Formats: sequence, structure tokens, C-alpha cells
Amino acid sequence: MGSLLDPSLLFFQQDRVRRTIIAAYWAVILLATPLWWNITSIERLPLPAGRVHTETQRALTLPATIQLEPGLVDSKPHIINELQSLLDKRLSNSITANVRVNDQNTSPGVYNLVFWDKEDAVLEGRTLKFPRGTSLTSLSDTIIKLLDPPPTSQDFRIAPYSSRYRLSFTLLNEDASSGSYISGWSVQAALRRYIQPILSRVSDLHNCTIESQIQFHAPLAFEPHKLEDNTTALTAEDLTIFVNTAEWTLSSSTSTDPVLHFALFVPNAERRPVKVIDSRTNTFLLPQWGGVVIYNPGDEQDHLGSDALDQIFPLFAQHLLTLLGVPSVPAGIKTPDALSDWQIDALLRRRAIETNQGARDILKSTVTLVNELENMPVGKVVQDEVQAALSALERLHSLSSKSLTDAARLSSEAYTLASRAFFNPDMLAMLYFPTEHKYAVYTPLFASAVIPLIAAAVRELLAWRKQKAAKAAAPVQ
Amino acid sequence: MRAIIFSICACLALASPEESAQEFFAGSSNHTNNWAVLISASKYWFNYRHMSNTLALYRTVKRLGIPDSNIIMMLADDAACNPRNRDAANVYPSPGGVDLYGDNIEVDYRGYEVTVENVIRLLTGRQDPSVPRSKRLLTDDRSNIFVYMTGHGGNEFLKFQDSEEISAHDVGDAFAQMWEKKRYHEIFFMIDTCQASSMYSQLHSPNIFATGSSQVGENSYSYHNDHTIGVSLIDRYTHYILGFLENVNKTSHATMQDFFDYYDTTAIGSHPGVRSDLFARPLNETLITDFFGGVAHVEVSNSDCTPVFGDVVEEEAPVRSKETMVVKAAPPSSPQPTTVDGKGIRAWGSFGLIGLILSWVAFRTSGS
Repeated sequence: MGSLLDPSLLFFQQDRVRRTIIAAYWAVILLATPLWWNITSIERLPLPAGRVHTETQRALTLPATIQLEPGLVDSKPHIINELQSLLDKRLSNSITANVRVNDQNTSPGVYNLVFWDKEDAVLEGRTLKFPRGTSLTSLSDTIIKLLDPPPTSQDFRIAPYSSRYRLSFTLLNEDASSGSYISGWSVQAALRRYIQPILSRVSDLHNCTIESQIQFHAPLAFEPHKLEDNTTALTAEDLTIFVNTAEWTLSSSTSTDPVLHFALFVPNAERRPVKVIDSRTNTFLLPQWGGVVIYNPGDEQDHLGSDALDQIFPLFAQHLLTLLGVPSVPAGIKTPDALSDWQIDALLRRRAIETNQGARDILKSTVTLVNELENMPVGKVVQDEVQAALSALERLHSLSSKSLTDAARLSSEAYTLASRAFFNPDMLAMLYFPTEHKYAVYTPLFASAVIPLIAAAVRELLAWRKQKAAKAAAPVQ
Repeated sequence: MRAIIFSICACLALASPEESAQEFFAGSSNHTNNWAVLISASKYWFNYRHMSNTLALYRTVKRLGIPDSNIIMMLADDAACNPRNRDAANVYPSPGGVDLYGDNIEVDYRGYEVTVENVIRLLTGRQDPSVPRSKRLLTDDRSNIFVYMTGHGGNEFLKFQDSEEISAHDVGDAFAQMWEKKRYHEIFFMIDTCQASSMYSQLHSPNIFATGSSQVGENSYSYHNDHTIGVSLIDRYTHYILGFLENVNKTSHATMQDFFDYYDTTAIGSHPGVRSDLFARPLNETLITDFFGGVAHVEVSNSDCTPVFGDVVEEEAPVRSKETMVVKAAPPSSPQPTTVDGKGIRAWGSFGLIGLILSWVAFRTSGS
């Protein structure tokens, strides 16, 4: 009985056992600390900030070579220098022109200037033909408009660059139940004839998917005005609310590619004809969104064959060119090509400059953000993508003078990679917690466990020191 | 190769609309698309009013022309299909008012999908590649975004799902990241919660203006406690602003200044705040429809010249087109009623426990 009454005689209250137990707790805590530190710290791999900085400072230059006929240069030896200085003065920073004598070099991306005896200025492929008497100023004017179309207030119409677009063609019957309606259209043939050629010309820049549909109930959300001659007129204000977004389903939502909408609207018989005021072609464009054509069929018509679509699809093609940012040929220049090489080159240049600028901006923002938000993780994937975008930009600078297509391709690649790095799902900054919240959460959790442990450790330490002192003081037997 | 029928034409296409385009832009915003993010952060039946707030704003932006594809709606709970809803599948903002749930509604994030993380991911665009289009904010530097949040909040936070909070810093950081990636042109941030003004105190990116239902230290109140369903139908602030918004139509010229002047502090019961120091345009020149409507820029094309391509293009790849016949939009997916299994077990468990304690007390008293 005596051993039970004296706690120091209990097995588990023996000094050694008790101290081992307390030490075991502390050992676990101390050993777990590095693990806890490791699993709660955020992986922040360094980004190549220096390279990003260098790359964002580097301006992109896209050179263009303009060749003159040897005969002309012989008769006017100063023409090369004069034209060169006129162009240098007015071209924007990213495009340089190099005027030289035609040496029969037919390498791609070289533009030829030819003077001929006819009255018209004509653009054929990469050759620009001018009447003989054209002044050098108007010549340089045209060349600048072709090489580097000046920014206009209409540029907002152009859809932001994307390597993929979805083109959605919709035939909308206002209300098929009202009687006369269109039940079908020869859309495949029309697409092959009017849209596909454009897409194949811009295939270096964009990969487009086409979808088409027919809807039989597409009501308007407003009541248009009826004129005295039974025509329904759409005013500019009506057009702004024409597309009934709440009830028309104009595209499927199968992918996240940007959609360009092309809608062919067939009004009810009692409204026909519906006319857009100020538009001979009965069509209008919504910037960056798409185009709408209003078509008034005859009462008996229920199918749109190639005759009708030959009226309509050229309008859609024009809308598509506008949305893609293909510059129009300057006034006064005639061209037999639907899309001349100069226009496509100007588009490539425009998109190369746009995506190059975009890629550099995104890289800069990524570095800034990672510096600003200290708890934003940066993983291996992000690091690799940033590096890949940088090397695409570096290759771009070495190739931009050789091939415009490669320049456009590489800057688009850099843009896509930089965007992907920026949007990496793992790069989500941990949510913000104020310091007092952290204390409020951690104190009740850890204080209750840690305080007894600390108290026990301190008590044991004191007891051990007392014991040691007592031992030292005790007389040696 | 192409057998080409050339059409020679002097391309004067679209050269003339320059002036008309400038006319359109006089005093208006330079955006080309509108988006709305509408968030109701509260769950539970008694927070009916928060869902009602959000649905009312959804109805408004849709009526004014923002398509469903550009509206991201988050509802943390489903009041319409709650078993306690006497008018199943209906949500009313006032007795005898319009049914906000309607027959064509698209909830993009519902129930437990409404989390702080998902909101931040949505805004910053850092989403998994598998996330569908309807759950993404696919905006660009020409997008005007209307962000509306409602729920229970406090000084610099808004409670989500009764379990977590979004702080004013989170919102400010998310908008800053959006600005860095050029994901918006302008943002209008509106929040209906207690101490709402604190939620926009940490914004620091340009071209944002914000309004909230109450000042710091002030509560926001609910409107009309309905006795037939036993909960409040809507919050006061949202109720009163709807009075203004209901009179706005797609072609309205009402400005944001008119909207803020409409605030009636006695009716709302709190002092709504407005913050416009980050916003570049004067509010009396900013139209309501710049944020609540679809975009209104249209260009009438009037060209005779259209590119005419060759007759037949043989070597082109075949058109991969899918002809689908759509008679009418698919019916809206009806939300699943939420189950309360866990709660049921808990309720019966506590009932049993109380029974046990009572019988034990009775046994002890009779025994002594």
C-alpha cells in the first residue's frame, strides 16, 4: 500500500519514464517542424526577370524591300534616295523599308514598283503598277498605306487576336409559324466560295472552325417603325438593339475560342421589306462581334440557293475581312485580286506587332505580379512557359528580317505561351488573411496544446536542476 | 488552283463610316462588349433575399441586353426549389411581383461551387482548361464588366457559404491582376451587404468605380418580411435601385450620376457609398447602359465593293460545318432540389439526446 501512496514510487512516475515521455512529445514537435515548414511554404521558382526586361526593351522591326525597275533608276538616279528618305520619314517605328534596284531577285516578301503607260494604278500580287507621271509624294503615300496602314478610329472593329476563331453562321427566321419562311440554305457551297478562300489566305495567323444553323423562331425585342409605303425601316438606334441576345442562340458553347457571328435575318412576311436606313446592302456590322444581313425573300421562296447567297455571302466575307483586320486597298488603286498579297502582308505585320507587344506586356505583368504578390506560387510549368515565350521572342528577332510569315507565327506563339503562363491555374495567390485573423485561428488551436507541454518541460527542468544541486550538496558516503 | 472570275473594283469599302463611328463614340464608352458577374454568397433558406437580389439584377442586365453567355451568375443556394418555398420554382422580390426565376435562367455556379477561390479564379482567368465556356469570364481590354455581390458581410469582408470570406484585399488584388492582363476596359462594382463601403476600400486599379449599400459601421437592411413564406423577400438597397433600373431601357440616356442621385437614404435605411476616384470619365457622362446593357455600337456597311473570289475552289479543305436545326433554345436546366439528409440525422440525434437526459433526470429524482 505504501508504494501506491507515494507517487514517486509509481512506475510511470519514475523520473526517467516521466522525462522520457515529455521528451518524446518535444521530439515529435521538433521533428515535425521542418515537415510543417516544408508543406506550408509556397513553391516560388525564380522567373528570368532580367531576360524579360531585356526582351521587353527590344523593339521589333519588320523590314520590307521595295524594288524599282533598272530602266527607271537609270533615267532618274536620285529616285532611290528620294523615295527612301520619304518612306523613312513617315513609316512607323516597327516597319522599315529598303528601296533598291530590281536585281531579278524573286525572293518572297519583295515588293516591285513598276511604271506603265496606262492611266490607272493597279495592284497585282506584290507588284504595284503606277502611271508614269505619278509624283514621288503620292507614290510614297500609297506605299505607306499599303505597308503600314495608319491607325484609324475604326480599328476598334477588329477582333482581338486569337490563334483560333469560331465562325458561326445563323439563318434566323423571325417566326416560322407566321407562314412564309426559309427552311434551308445552300450554305456549304457559299462557304466554300466566299469564306474558305479568305480563311486559307489567313491560315498562317488563324485556325478557324465554322458552324452553321437555322433557327425558326427569332423574335425581335422591339417594334420597328413602319413607313407609309409599307416598308419597315430600321434606324441607327434600332440597329443597336437589333440583336436579341436574350432569345437568339447564335453560337454553341463547345469551346472557349472567340466567336465571330454572322447572322442572316429573315423578317416575317407582314414586315417585308425591312430596310436598314442608309444601307444599300441592308447590312450592318457590330464591332468585334460580327455582322448582320437582313434579307427579304419573295413570298414563295423557301430555300436560299446560290442566287440568293451570292448576294449575301459577299457581305459576310466583307464583314469577316473587317473583323480580322485585313486593311482595305487605298482609294484609287485597282486590284484584280480579291485579297492582294500586300493586304495579307500588312495584316501579318499588324498582327505580328500586336502579338509581339502583347507577349511582352504579359511577360512584364507576370514578373511584376509575382514580385508584388508574395504568396503567389510559381511552379515549374509557369517557369518553363515564360522561358519558352522568351526564346520565341528571341528567335523572332533573328528571323523577322527574313520571313514575315515566320515573324507572325513566332510572335503569336510567344503571345500564346505568355498568356498560358499568366493564366496557369496553379498561380493563384493564397487568399489574403489579416494578421489578427491568423492569431485568432492559431491561438485556440495551438495554445491549449503547447502551454501544458511548455509548463511540463519547465517544471521538469527545474526539478532536475534542484535534484542535481541536492546531489552535489549531499555528503559523500 | 482557282479558276478565278476577277472583279475589278475600286475598294472604297467602309471608308466613309469614320465620321459616323466618331459620332457614336462622342461621350460614350469605348467598349465593344459587356459582361456581368452576379454573386449571391449566402446559403440557407433564410437568406432567400440574397438570391432574390442577385436574380433581380440578372433579370435587369438580361433585359437591357447582356446575353446569357456574358453573364456569370453564382447562387450559393437554391431558394426557388427549396422545399420551404410555398411557390415552388418561383422567386418573388415583392408580394405579387414578377417571378424572378422565370422560364429562361442560366445559373453558372451553384451551391458549393460558389467559393472564394472560384470567384478569384473566375476574375483572374486562372482556371483549369476543362472549365466550360459558361463558367469563364472571357473578357478583353474592350469589355465593360458589372460586378455585383451580395451576402452577409462586415468590415472588409463578405461571407461565402457560411464558412469562408472574401476580403476587400482579395477583390482589389483580383481586379489589379485583371488590369495587368488587360481583362477589362471599365468595371462597375456594386455590393449590397452590411458595411458595404469597406469592400471597395482596397481597390487600386484604374477605371473602376464602385458603390455599396452602406457605410462602414452601418448595417444594410432587408425589405418586406413576407409572412406566407416566413422570410424577407429582398434587401432594401437592391429593392430601391430596382425602382430606378426598371425605368431604364436599352436605348436610355440615363447616367450613373442620375442613378446615384436617386439614392434615398431614408427609404434605404443606410447611407449608400460611391467611390469614383479611380474612374476616368465623369459619372454624369457615363451611361447606365455602358454597364447594364449590351453594347450599342453599330456600323452600317454601305459598300458596293465586296471581295469576289473565284468560282469554285477545288483544293481547299472541305468545310467542316455542322448543320443543326434549332427550333427554340433548349429548355433551361431545372435545378435539383437540395437534400437535407445530414441535417435530418442531426435533428433526430439531438431529439434523442434530450430525451435520454430527461429520462435520466426523472429516474434520479424518483430514485432518491
